[in-house]
Amino acid sequence: MLRHDDRIVLDGATLAQFMPMHLLLDGEGRALSFGPTLAQVLQANAVPGARFEDLFEVRSPGGAVTVGQVLARGANRFRLLPRSGVRVGLRGLARTLPGSGRILLNLSFGMDLVAAVRDLALTDADFAATELAMELLYMAEANAAVTRELRGLNLRLEGARIAAEEEAMTDPLTGLRNRRAADLVLERLCAARAGFGLLHMDLDYFKAVNDTLGHAAGDHVLSTVGRILREQLRAEDCAARIGGDEFVVILAGRTEPKMLQTIADRIIARICQPMEFEGQVCTVSASIGIVRSLDLAVPEPVQLLAAADRALYSAKHAGRGRAVLLVTRGE
Amino acid sequence: MRDNLAAETDLGSDMDALFLRSLQSYVSEIFGAGRWHAVCRHAGLTVDSFEPMLRYERGTADRIALVAAEVLGRPVEAIWEDVGIHLVTNPEREGIRRLLRFGGVTFADFLYSLEELPGRARLAMPDLDLPDVTLDEVGEDRFDLHCQSYLRATQRVLIGLLTAMADDYGALCLIEPKADDCTSILVLDRRHATARRFDLALPKV
Repeated sequence: MLRHDDRIVLDGATLAQFMPMHLLLDGEGRALSFGPTLAQVLQANAVPGARFEDLFEVRSPGGAVTVGQVLARGANRFRLLPRSGVRVGLRGLARTLPGSGRILLNLSFGMDLVAAVRDLALTDADFAATELAMELLYMAEANAAVTRELRGLNLRLEGARIAAEEEAMTDPLTGLRNRRAADLVLERLCAARAGFGLLHMDLDYFKAVNDTLGHAAGDHVLSTVGRILREQLRAEDCAARIGGDEFVVILAGRTEPKMLQTIADRIIARICQPMEFEGQVCTVSASIGIVRSLDLAVPEPVQLLAAADRALYSAKHAGRGRAVLLVTRGE
Repeated sequence: MRDNLAAETDLGSDMDALFLRSLQSYVSEIFGAGRWHAVCRHAGLTVDSFEPMLRYERGTADRIALVAAEVLGRPVEAIWEDVGIHLVTNPEREGIRRLLRFGGVTFADFLYSLEELPGRARLAMPDLDLPDVTLDEVGEDRFDLHCQSYLRATQRVLIGLLTAMADDYGALCLIEPKADDCTSILVLDRRHATARRFDLALPKV
């Protein structure tokens, strides 16, 4: 059994194999031998006789410059930066060897391992077999791979969520928004106190098309109306089918009565043009009630829709195929 | 046939998820997205994509692979071996080859490291559920690799991985299934060809 103060003899080759990052100094702090991996870090500075303080900048313990000062501070662990220009931190342990007064340092890359391996093109053979360097490198890459996979999964789930949301907001027949989407837009604009125009549109003679030419013809009319609305509106407007042949159009930022009237008239004119379906001509028309958000003292979706509905009723009453702007005062 | 394959969170298996995604990549990249859709349609799936980080019902991978064998007109064993090879050789998934190459400097070192594989995988994903692997050296350059898995796919995917890695290391090997849970590896020439280059650090992007 080796006693605490027994000495063993190590030859240089064994030392280099067991500690490829060691540095052996004489009592004055001058280099006697370098481990082969440390020599790669120190590059041209790794020459016998080089002084410790010319090889390294001491990062901790603070204030220490020479190896004697590092030892005197009793630091069990110290941190160094090589002066060779290789940008890797080193962590170390040092002891004065009994008898000879030589100083043995053993260094490691610590958390800078990945950078050291990359910058110095180190290989498996540059590390002692007992070191966990390979495991650390492996883990860094495995973690990066897992993170990449998770990020991919998140993006795909997010894409699916957006698609599902889009689907939940869309009327499949016309490609317009649905009632839920229109309600959300109205709520948002009202909450933001934004000025906008609201058109409530109902098709005229639609029931006749359905009854005489069949539901397929009716569906064709609805999808044609959807196309007309998309063509007539800007991207920031919202057109929705909220019932069988009932539509709502929200015109963001449009509050000028003449402008709203013109847009509504244009939509009606387009819808009044005969639509052909399988050789049959379907003729419908549309009535539109118009309100403006600023016609209500405190615009609320429910009141606005009710007001638009009253305007629509006036339009129907006045003979259909027309748009009526409701001016409500003091409501 | 069960139609609902919704990924499970608490139950289900990681192995199925990893194999299914690998099978999906292999079939879509080698035979085209159309063939993969055909596999999913024939299998009665409501989805056509599997998520490697989720879990699927145990045995799903074997079941879908049987459908793929029918659609592609190839034996299911050959498909899984190709999936294993594809995992290592596909340049877009260089990561897997690199992780395996960390196992050792030589092909023999790599073989010994296979026993550590489940432990290594758990370093990155602690709750990953992979089967145990043991390697017996039965003679000079002769090994028996034991791996017990509820998935029939496992042995063939391993054979594919080993075949591709032998190639990567430049070793000439005969790799054959011996029993359901045992694969024999005979290394005929350790330095048959030049090993592919392997730098410990990834180049800085």
